[in-house]
Amino acid sequence: MAAILSVAPVVLMTLLIGLRGVAAMRTTSDFLVASRRVSPLLNSAAVSGEYLSAASFLGVSGLVVKDGVGALWYPVGFTAGYLAMLALVAAPMRRSGALTVPDFAEARLASPALRRIAAVVVLVIGTLYLVPQFRTAGLVLSAVGGTPYWVGVVIAGTAVSATLALGGMRAATYVQAFQFALKLVLFIVPAIWLLMQAGAENRHAALHPVEFTHFAHETTVSFEVAVTLEITAPTATRAPDGSVHVLPRGDLVMPGGRSLVFLPGTAVPGVRGDAPLGSSGWQRPLLDLDGAGYPLLGTWAVLLATMLGTMGLPHVLMRFHTSPDGRAARRTAAITVGLLGVFYLFPGIYGLLGRVLAPELYLSGATDTVVVALPSRVDGGWAGSLFTALLTAGAFAAFLATSLGLLLAVSGAIAHDLLRGGLRQLRLTVVLAAAVMVLLALPSTRLDAGVLVTWGFTVAASTFCPLLVLGIWWQKLTAAGAISGVLAGLLSSSGSIITALFEPPLDGWLAILVAQPAPWSVPLAFAIMIVVSLRGRPPSWSTAAMLRLHLDERPPRGPKPVHSTSPGHRSSTVRRIARRLNR
Amino acid sequence: MSRVKRVAVTSPQTRLAHSRRRAPGRWRVPTLEPADAERAARMYREQRRRALPAVALMFGLLLVLTIAFTVAPGLDSVRVLGIPLSWLLLVAVPYPVMALLARWQLRRAERVERE
Repeated sequence: MAAILSVAPVVLMTLLIGLRGVAAMRTTSDFLVASRRVSPLLNSAAVSGEYLSAASFLGVSGLVVKDGVGALWYPVGFTAGYLAMLALVAAPMRRSGALTVPDFAEARLASPALRRIAAVVVLVIGTLYLVPQFRTAGLVLSAVGGTPYWVGVVIAGTAVSATLALGGMRAATYVQAFQFALKLVLFIVPAIWLLMQAGAENRHAALHPVEFTHFAHETTVSFEVAVTLEITAPTATRAPDGSVHVLPRGDLVMPGGRSLVFLPGTAVPGVRGDAPLGSSGWQRPLLDLDGAGYPLLGTWAVLLATMLGTMGLPHVLMRFHTSPDGRAARRTAAITVGLLGVFYLFPGIYGLLGRVLAPELYLSGATDTVVVALPSRVDGGWAGSLFTALLTAGAFAAFLATSLGLLLAVSGAIAHDLLRGGLRQLRLTVVLAAAVMVLLALPSTRLDAGVLVTWGFTVAASTFCPLLVLGIWWQKLTAAGAISGVLAGLLSSSGSIITALFEPPLDGWLAILVAQPAPWSVPLAFAIMIVVSLRGRPPSWSTAAMLRLHLDERPPRGPKPVHSTSPGHRSSTVRRIARRLNR
Repeated sequence: MSRVKRVAVTSPQTRLAHSRRRAPGRWRVPTLEPADAERAARMYREQRRRALPAVALMFGLLLVLTIAFTVAPGLDSVRVLGIPLSWLLLVAVPYPVMALLARWQLRRAERVERE
């Protein structure tokens, strides 16, 4: 019930604000880039609102509980991506006049094949990123309100596709900007409340983490997905009827949907495949992935994937196309760095408190829900329920805002880039694509959302990042070079992550590079683009095509702005007709 | 935006044509007028000269922090207001520095264009 009460206002507001954005809409440009009329401040709020997804609102804090303080490098990489975008991509890309990334690729390199490949890459990234959003919507709603998993997924899918099909990018812009403000408040206020309510003892424990070895009090752990527990000492648990049952030493396979009640003072079992919680590496501010023993490499693998991946995320790039000109696009990127910086000061608080107050989430693999689980641990009364509801609302806003942008990017890739359709096809595609994503999300409860999002970022970093950077700054790039580079990046990064999913018997730095391939797949894509381009010859117009991107919109000369129909600004047709009339 | 009610002023046929599937637009060879080409080439060089240091500084910041955490694990046990110094550095340093870098880079990039 509380879940419905907290989620319903967010969904309703999304629909209402979306309807407010419905305006006369006639062309694909109106639909995909809001007629390019979005001011930098509104746009940067919308970019931030779109970007703060489930991964940022819930995921980072969950990773801090699970992997340690080093997980706070993820948001640093997320933010750094916008700085790179500001310096390298924003203004020239907007000046290309494209509507989507595939549009940009075709405008720069004149290759329909590259356009289609780029559209497929958008679909890959969009799917990898959308499915986890819908999945987390279902999981959070079921964790908080006890609704079946599919309810949250279907609500998210319906709200997003209805808003988009009606209002397109204009509606998405207003919704995302509003939801950024909403998320900021709903994340910061509960964080401060939690810090105050947690008490001096817990605050001290949060800053002096010790290994989680024994349950301090009677603890219920519900297993949403199947987990293998390694029981090292006889462990006392309470059966539903109140009798005490001692688990013997050995492996215990917990099926999904069950729960265990551990008695106080019993030893915490280990989880197959994870390092023990709070072992010495936990408080190191570096990411020692899988305990491989190479924290510096692990941190940089994540930083490169998040930073360069941000530069290549199609839904983020699309938002920059809504700016009126290159200068506004650049300002958007700069403001976004500041806005994200404010938000990302806070996930650490939830992570550290979660480590102390809800460490057992680690056993069931549900650390993602630590943010919404915390208020009830601090306050069992109405205040706890209120803040749980607020955080659930914020998390739902996060899924909705991100899904809006992603769904628009995916629909644009299908209806605009692959099928070359008009407005009607776009609207239809939005609904169909949402339906497919919901169907894909329904059976994927067991998937690790973190792996999917990392996958999406790595693909973006190894395909669109080199394509954009070289396309904007290197005139010798050829279509053949771009195609081979994008394909190499897509196949190598995806292949490597799929290999890692089968858990090959690797360890050390090799294991890191297989699970986080960005440190080699991005340079590989760059190298292949450069080598193949150098072996071919760029067409004669290549330099003009690149320089065109750097030509700024000239500021109006003289005291008065030049009227748009003064002779110098007329098109050739207008000039010809004017000559005839003046004769 | 404005509260003025927007009215469609296209003919119904134009609206129909817009909403219909259209043949792929023919790609046109990009051309630049000589004056524009010269200005664009200058912009390209100037912006590149300004973009590279900003990106280098960003990488430098992240590199310095990660290496400092690796070679000086003692930062974990130094405490400021009870918080380990390395945690404080990880949260409180990158965001303000990146925001300042963004502001700096934006100013420089816009100054080139104002001339």
